[in-house]
Amino acid sequence: MTLSQPQTKRAEGVPVSSCWNCKGAVSGTHFCGACGKIQPLPAGMDYFAFFGLPRKLTIEPASFEGQFHMLSWKLHPDNFVRASEFERNLSLARSSELNDAYRTLRDPLTRVEYLLEFLKVRKEGTTKQQAPPELLEEVFELNESLDELRDARAAGGDVALLRGRLDAAAGNFQEKLTEVDAELARLGSEWDAAVDFGSDEAKRAALLTRMSEVLNRRSYIRNLVDGVQKEIADA
Amino acid sequence: MGRVVGIDLGTTYSLIAFMDAQSGAPKTISGPHASSLCPSVVSVDAKGKVIVGDDARDLLLTEPERTIYSVKRLMGRGVADIKDELKIFPFRIDAKSDSVIRVMLGDKSFTAPEISAYILRELKSWAEAYFKETVDRAVITVPAYFNDAQRQATKDAGRLAGLEVLRLVNEPTAAALAYGLHKQKRGHVAVYDFGGGTFDISILKLISTTEGDIYQVLATNGDTHLGGDDIDNALMELARGEIKTKYGVELDHRGEDVQTLRKSLIRAKHELSSAEKTLVEYPLGTKGMYVREITRKEFENLIAPIVERTMRPAKLALADAKLTPKEIEEAVLVGGSTRIPLVRKTVGDFFERVPHSELDPDEVVAMGAAVQADILESGVKTMLLLDVTPLSLGIETMGGVIAKIIPRNSTIPASAQEMFTTGVDNQTAIDVHILQGERELVKDCRSLARFQLKTPPGPAGLARIEVKFLIDANGILQVAAKDLRTDEQHTVEVQPSYGLSDAEIERMLEESIDFAEQDLAERQVIEARTEAESILVATDKALKNTGGNIITADERAEIGKAEKELRATMGGHDYKLMREKIDGLNAATEHLAEILMNGALQTALEGKSLDEF
Repeated sequence: MTLSQPQTKRAEGVPVSSCWNCKGAVSGTHFCGACGKIQPLPAGMDYFAFFGLPRKLTIEPASFEGQFHMLSWKLHPDNFVRASEFERNLSLARSSELNDAYRTLRDPLTRVEYLLEFLKVRKEGTTKQQAPPELLEEVFELNESLDELRDARAAGGDVALLRGRLDAAAGNFQEKLTEVDAELARLGSEWDAAVDFGSDEAKRAALLTRMSEVLNRRSYIRNLVDGVQKEIADA
Repeated sequence: MGRVVGIDLGTTYSLIAFMDAQSGAPKTISGPHASSLCPSVVSVDAKGKVIVGDDARDLLLTEPERTIYSVKRLMGRGVADIKDELKIFPFRIDAKSDSVIRVMLGDKSFTAPEISAYILRELKSWAEAYFKETVDRAVITVPAYFNDAQRQATKDAGRLAGLEVLRLVNEPTAAALAYGLHKQKRGHVAVYDFGGGTFDISILKLISTTEGDIYQVLATNGDTHLGGDDIDNALMELARGEIKTKYGVELDHRGEDVQTLRKSLIRAKHELSSAEKTLVEYPLGTKGMYVREITRKEFENLIAPIVERTMRPAKLALADAKLTPKEIEEAVLVGGSTRIPLVRKTVGDFFERVPHSELDPDEVVAMGAAVQADILESGVKTMLLLDVTPLSLGIETMGGVIAKIIPRNSTIPASAQEMFTTGVDNQTAIDVHILQGERELVKDCRSLARFQLKTPPGPAGLARIEVKFLIDANGILQVAAKDLRTDEQHTVEVQPSYGLSDAEIERMLEESIDFAEQDLAERQVIEARTEAESILVATDKALKNTGGNIITADERAEIGKAEKELRATMGGHDYKLMREKIDGLNAATEHLAEILMNGALQTALEGKSLDEF
């Protein structure tokens, strides 16, 4: 169960941008243009670049899937069963990176999260778990209803009425989730336009910050909805 | 290098198949009993000789203490995991078992990978007899829902059997492959694989590209402990209960009587797939005879809860694939338990279409494995399987909570990187605990392995160790660690929670080499004997047919002497001597053979067939 990481085993003196086999120049592509050998993953290559895509948030699903299948066909370990151990490890590293990139970029939500993490706007897996100010009142009411539900359940009382109230609250927050997603999509389009027209850094940074805030709100509401649904199911 | 094969290492039956170059289609290989199904039963006699397959299955009735079936249920599991199974299965667990279960066969104890290796060796010998060549590499199939430990155990079994395991392929995926080649299907396909001990459901997308076909698994789910065995056990429970209440006889669930009863109940189960009712008779000695009619209706009521248990994984897999039953173009049935009409109906109702079962549900998995083996061996890729990991991979965080790092149904190979640091000053080791499962808490998931990251003492939070977790194309985890401050690769000594260490496998391999030499010698004796028999028969026939006047009396005496000498060696075990005498007889009959050949030619030229000669 140990794994060697081929990208650190490069022969001494060979610059990063030259092929490990024929020493020809390679620039971040999967295979050497001259000898056709699979190449180590360059450090810092992002998932968008792996797919040959610009760092934009709109991805056309059919061509993305097509590209995934094409790259899978070329990079999969099946192709390297009879190759050297070095090349087998390169294939393993490349094809797992391909699948990680596919999994991340396929879903619009993980896609935007990844972009923000990659551009260091967000740290992976961190979200601020405090209620957005505009939701404070509703969250307060919801928590009250949840407490009452738990009390009623513990006392063996009638939970039907409370359940109805919670259902309504969950529905309300679900709607907010839809709104948040719409806002995220709108910001995504703005970001794409900013990339296309080469907008200045300040504008891009502002958009990224805004997206990060919306993601925090989304994560907060999502947890709330999940929690309520779990309580309802348990009741 | 020898031949490469595909192997279905099943709970009830195991099969071996290869890609037939002439027909371009996969073919299964039959054993000495003229069947491609090798019962996954292993028996060890008092002398330590291992018997596998049909012969071992017969010994289940007479030597139950030395014989084991359904060993696949024990692969990659710990003693605590199988408490419930021990109530139903007659496994005799060695009290000395630790992280790996050891089973007693007679007075010797074996691990599940060792027993599985005996089955693999048996199949390997079938293929070697067929090819007259060694077989040293294989693709072996596993249930899609097998976890890391179960996969590793299967790979270990292959290694112990002297096979290089080129790839572990998920059973439903292998079946889809065999079907796809057969029917040239496109679109979404559900493979419902209900075997002897495991249940899998896989949802695949079949895609045509300019390069070739891609079989992309979108989602998989299942239960590694749900199968035909459970149906047999339900029947057993019914019969044993009735025998106890009506006849006052209590059958020991590990005795030989119970195996006889089990055998008749399995026959009844098979009959009820085509008949509306069947009769079970079981003698109870002085207490008379247990006679029981079972109708299909009653049988279906009895097994309905078991069949129903397959529906939850089916729904979960569809939900993960983000599809509805209507969006599934084809449903394919795999595994012996899909012969049961209630199972077919349940699947048909769920997917709202008649499921496919054109290919033999027992053979289709091995055939798919043979196709994949051929692709890996030849390097000529005609299609590509993109499979997924069935269970989420996570690491333990504070408070016994799991942080998921690779979600279930991720296309494999898949990886994740995590950064580890120290929590207190001068901490020199960081413990990492890897788990598999969907639940939130460590206690509800499957522990895979633990390891320690070493770091020099320093202030808390200074250490920066990046660990890369990678699930390879076999669905098996690999781990690598790198100290980001020194950019040095860390060696990670991973201790599997359930499974054999490399050292244990090495030791077993050494032991098995002794075994292999013994096996090989024995096989050569049998082969030489078979050859001697056929040459003796041919010689006698030739002498009789020719009337004896075409060769000289001297020649005839010479042949008689050679025959006698060969016969004298055949009862012994010296295969070299036997070969020598075979050569002697061949030399003595050379002139006779020549005459016969000329005669045959002449006869043929005169328009007579060789048979008339």
